[in-house]
Amino acid sequence: MSFLKINNATKSYGSTKVLHNIDIDVQEGEFLVLVGPSGCGKSTLLNMIAGLEDITSGTIAIKGQTMNGVHPSKRNIAMVFQSYALYPNMTVGQNITFGLEMHGVAKPEREKAMSDVAEMLQIKPLLDRKPGQLSGGQRQRVAMGRALVRDPDVFLFDEPLSNLDAKLRVDMRTEIKKLHQKLGTTIVYVTHDQIEAMTLSTRIAVMNGGYVQQLGTPKEIYDNPANLFVASFMGSPSMNLVPAKVVANGDGIFAQLPTGLSDQVNLKFSNPTEALKGFDQKEIVLGIRPEAITDPEGADRKANHIEQITNRVIVTEPAGSDTYVMSSLGGKDCNARMRADALVVAGQDVPFAINMDKAIPFDPFSEMRIA
Amino acid sequence: MSVASTDNAISTGRITRAFIYLMLILFATFYLLPFGIMVLNSVKPLSEITGGNMMSLPQVFTLEPWFKAWNSAQIGVEPTGLKPYFWNSLKMVFPAVTISTVLGALNGYVLTKWRFKGDTILFGLMLFACFIPFQIVLIPMARVLGFLGIAGSTPGLVLVHVVYGLGFTTLYFRNYYQVFPTELIRAAQIDGAGFFRIFWRIMLPSSGPIIVVSVIWQFTNIWNDFLFGASFADLDSQPMTVALNNLVSSSTGVKEYNVHFAGAILAALPTLLVYIVAGRYFVRGLMAGSVKG
Repeated sequence: MSFLKINNATKSYGSTKVLHNIDIDVQEGEFLVLVGPSGCGKSTLLNMIAGLEDITSGTIAIKGQTMNGVHPSKRNIAMVFQSYALYPNMTVGQNITFGLEMHGVAKPEREKAMSDVAEMLQIKPLLDRKPGQLSGGQRQRVAMGRALVRDPDVFLFDEPLSNLDAKLRVDMRTEIKKLHQKLGTTIVYVTHDQIEAMTLSTRIAVMNGGYVQQLGTPKEIYDNPANLFVASFMGSPSMNLVPAKVVANGDGIFAQLPTGLSDQVNLKFSNPTEALKGFDQKEIVLGIRPEAITDPEGADRKANHIEQITNRVIVTEPAGSDTYVMSSLGGKDCNARMRADALVVAGQDVPFAINMDKAIPFDPFSEMRIA
Repeated sequence: MSVASTDNAISTGRITRAFIYLMLILFATFYLLPFGIMVLNSVKPLSEITGGNMMSLPQVFTLEPWFKAWNSAQIGVEPTGLKPYFWNSLKMVFPAVTISTVLGALNGYVLTKWRFKGDTILFGLMLFACFIPFQIVLIPMARVLGFLGIAGSTPGLVLVHVVYGLGFTTLYFRNYYQVFPTELIRAAQIDGAGFFRIFWRIMLPSSGPIIVVSVIWQFTNIWNDFLFGASFADLDSQPMTVALNNLVSSSTGVKEYNVHFAGAILAALPTLLVYIVAGRYFVRGLMAGSVKG
């Protein structure tokens, strides 16, 4: 039985439906990330789990107990907010113990719990300060301390890192992951940052327009996106999505598309599915991640099938660790990730190696992956 | 910091600066002059006022008029001085200010953080209270006070002032709490705090500036009110303002201007004190409540 069970949950404001029949099961100790663009309903779903918004229909259950209509304080959850939501009039110590005090925990126990948490998060020297005197990273820690001290069944994080600067964000990300590994708690984490989703989660729910587009492990989501939205949303730089035509003959199934040199190339699929055969002579959208298009020396040696084509370089973007090379494929700009010292110059015609194991065909009308 | 700021400041010429200061001093004098004259004449014997120049400095310094105004001046028919009425005013002002401020804070809290259907309309209706002239409510208020059996008493006056002040205090607190982060309320809910606990432990401690605004506003208005005091108070509950009027406008005997001046200052002192003590929070609080919305 799942630890947190979201069963057919919907949310409407008047006649506007913002969440459509959400079904998610979270196992104990899982780190589930809800990711999506703003307005996709991810925060609303989190608030429904917290009990801050009511559920229009369906159920949400924690440890087998239905939580519909249960007050937030009685669900044994803790939440970390985007703005940290530290009580400005209380010291750090009082902030951390306020929840325990409200739940009638005796003072010595509160002090003990507070000192344990402060120890773990290294905020002991801050306990007597007010939130106004803390830096962003310290506030973040205190907010996490306030959640940890309650020892809840489920932790809810609402974009906790989005107010931090880039470097601190990476540090805190690692810290949250460490904390999860150490405590083994169940976490539901909302973010719009797909890198946070990939790095932190054990499972990701990609949301858009009030629907869960895909639910799966980070690898599943990244390698086998269910539809065009997931394909383009996850990954940075994002997946190349180029129109192509399917051609099937005795040698196999090919994606036929024009290059920037105004000729056609046929890219052979490594493992074509039956469904793809049905698309013979039809238009598809071919999805290839930038790292699947490389210079021939940098190509993955373990790949089953690599297509090599010659194409004209439009622009190069040396990023230090890699060089991104833009060319035209299927009439669209196509991003390739080459080794940092690959010798490519804008305007030149150079060989590109395309790892066809990683090429994913999409139906341009249903926008679903052809599988 | 101060060194850097002079570089950035718009440089003004010496003459312009002198002119600005001159104007400021002139206006300050203009506004302070009446008060100065009141103080000067309240420490003179009556003969100096009646016999000569009101503007001149006292030749004989005396605090006698102050004591007289406080202790023994003829108010109406009784030679009681302003003292009992001063206490009447305090007994009316303190509960009225406290109750209207607390209720205003509660209203603001509910209207912003516990929204319900029609709350904006309700708030709009409450705002009407700020625009209704005193005179309009006199007769209905008299009926209500009679009905409740508290006509002509201090509790009656407190009720009148609370009802009349509620529109303003609600407006202040509502605007202040409007920008108060709702996430804090949610965090407190998850922490297990209920409606009143959130109010006492989270909202009120963060409301310093707006409480000051509300208190100053209410204190000044209620202390200075004459109409309600004159209409709804009996002899034993009349506030300072009514007593001052009775002192100054009594038609028998000699007009003791020095006593009148002292009495008027006595009547103005508490509001002055409130402004001096809490004034710097006043502007801060007004800004906090109004800038962002």
